[in-house]
Amino acid sequence: MEPLIDVNCSPMECTSLSPSAPIWQDILAQAMTGELLAAMNYTSLSEICDDPAEVADALEHSECERGHAAAFAAEGRKIGVEVCNNVDAKHWKRLRDAFLRCITERDFIGCLIVQEIMLESFAVASYSRVGKVGPGSLGETFARIAAEEGEHVDHAMSILRAERARDAQRFDDKVYRLHLDVMTALAQMLAKECKDGHCEVCHASCVKPSLFEVSLSAAELRGASLQQYLKTLDMLGIPGEVTLRWVTQLPV
Amino acid sequence: MGDAVASVTTGARTIDADFALIGHQESWRTAADVLAVLRGPERTPLPDEEIKDILPWIPPRAVCHVDVGSIIRTKSGAARARGLYIDSFIPPDRLEAAYVHENIARVRGAAACAIKAGAKIVSLGGFSSILIEGNFDQLPERHHTVFTTGNTLTVAFIVQGIQKMCALEGRNLSRSTLLIVGATGDVGSGCARCLAPIVKRVLLSARKVERLRRLAAELQDDGVQVEVATDLQQFSTEADVVICAASLASPSLLLGRIAPDAIVCDAGYPKNLSPTAEMLDAKVFFGGLGQITGGMKFTPDFHGVLNRHPFPDVVHGCLLEGMALALEHRFEAFSQGRGFITQERVDEIGTIAARHGIYLAPLYNADGPLEDGLDARWNGREDESMGERPSRTVGRIERRTSGHRRSSHVRADLMGGLSAPYFI
Repeated sequence: MEPLIDVNCSPMECTSLSPSAPIWQDILAQAMTGELLAAMNYTSLSEICDDPAEVADALEHSECERGHAAAFAAEGRKIGVEVCNNVDAKHWKRLRDAFLRCITERDFIGCLIVQEIMLESFAVASYSRVGKVGPGSLGETFARIAAEEGEHVDHAMSILRAERARDAQRFDDKVYRLHLDVMTALAQMLAKECKDGHCEVCHASCVKPSLFEVSLSAAELRGASLQQYLKTLDMLGIPGEVTLRWVTQLPV
Repeated sequence: MGDAVASVTTGARTIDADFALIGHQESWRTAADVLAVLRGPERTPLPDEEIKDILPWIPPRAVCHVDVGSIIRTKSGAARARGLYIDSFIPPDRLEAAYVHENIARVRGAAACAIKAGAKIVSLGGFSSILIEGNFDQLPERHHTVFTTGNTLTVAFIVQGIQKMCALEGRNLSRSTLLIVGATGDVGSGCARCLAPIVKRVLLSARKVERLRRLAAELQDDGVQVEVATDLQQFSTEADVVICAASLASPSLLLGRIAPDAIVCDAGYPKNLSPTAEMLDAKVFFGGLGQITGGMKFTPDFHGVLNRHPFPDVVHGCLLEGMALALEHRFEAFSQGRGFITQERVDEIGTIAARHGIYLAPLYNADGPLEDGLDARWNGREDESMGERPSRTVGRIERRTSGHRRSSHVRADLMGGLSAPYFI
């Protein structure tokens, strides 16, 4: 499956009027990449669903995520920057590979855990923070999409709660295995500094040290994301003392 | 990997909790140590800067299981109670008034965790108690969970500590002038009610003059000599026994208003008084602490991390109150609101605690222990070490009521009663 938007565009030199435009360009690029990856994940999910209603649901979600990606690209154009994306960038690729392993195992529940509990927690929390400080329609778009992603989580929650009710131990073990895989990659991506080289999404140097210029910080985005993740795991019913240990053991 | 995963999740599966303890870390150092235990010895501890970035984002949640033992034996061994320690994750640098709403929300979140865990009684530790003592209506809806500030047992241990320190120093409490800083708070006013009748004079200090006057009037009705002041410098005389029920930035703030060799009980939160160069002769000790002689176990093992005291199994009285009531199967909101702590209630909770082997902790301060911790007479262990006795007289309390003195003996049987003899 190919993403709707070309992933191989070259970084452009930003010449927009706003000095913060290059920062927003990178924030939008990360968000757009995440949305495209989510769209790819839902499309893949549709391929292992047996129930036609589930297939339709997954494809609808995929379309919705593509719409989000397009909205972020449009916000970039409004401030005079081209928003690139790269679902093959190293961190994002690890997240995609983790999801594809669930697909290979035809593990529908595993797919939901990765996409809805882990990746969407990150999206909802970080988009919400960006939505609060983003200028004009850019901020509004992030806030709107954060709300829509939150609805996706709510939808999955009932399925996952029912699954946990069948065998809590087995369910929690599965979440932990996926946590080690996915959240470790996400934690490295969210680290305050990119210690292992360029992320392959930012158009020039790493955007993290510049985030304070738009009233954000890498620490805040990471903190909000992990908080949202813990709260989502709470809603699933996994004991808080267990999930606390999981999160504190992540790399920083 | 499957086995490893199973051991992680099964090891901490939620259990029905008799009690829950709500607390938070009072310094970044203690917070770092808690996170280091959670990360495990195989991972490098988080750098301090990362901890300061991460901790404020952690939602309130259980950190570990707590098992507490009683000295009461049952057919199946020592009576025990099981509980949870729930951390509200109030950042240590956000204890001041500017964060009160945020912190109340965190305590509410922690309370919700306790309710969800099915805790029958919840003790509010440290700052949580201060935040909630006048705001019980702000706690979440609950059906089978009761909350206690734990302040009554805190008062019991402060009073016992003052009496013990006086005895160790050869002071006659009945000739003392007692100063209580933070006198109108729940703990301060409770201490005033318990100690005013047995000292020569009481000096009450707090920020709100109307509350001070009300408390003074209550004590004066019982014939107690009372002075009140919002500023320590306004008192006409100096104190030789001091209870700081509100945190002071430094004991030197007391300079000039207390005797050079005054006994000073740091009963505030966080405890931050220590003997200074200006007050070398003052006898400062940390008050309100008790010790569980029946033993306490944390899972995972947080010994020395969650309870940082120079003696084993020492816990703040406010938390011990919930444990003692759980061991007693008395699931009731023993301490609630502000200003309701009386001598009778203090005696009652002290008796319950002692029945389960929870006694005044050995005295210490920021510089270390003030005793060796083996003082059986004070720490209530003579029954275990010296064999059974049918009953013992544990003390004599001299009270002044309506201008005259009366004395009463307080008796306790083998399995209960007040742990500490009262020497006047």
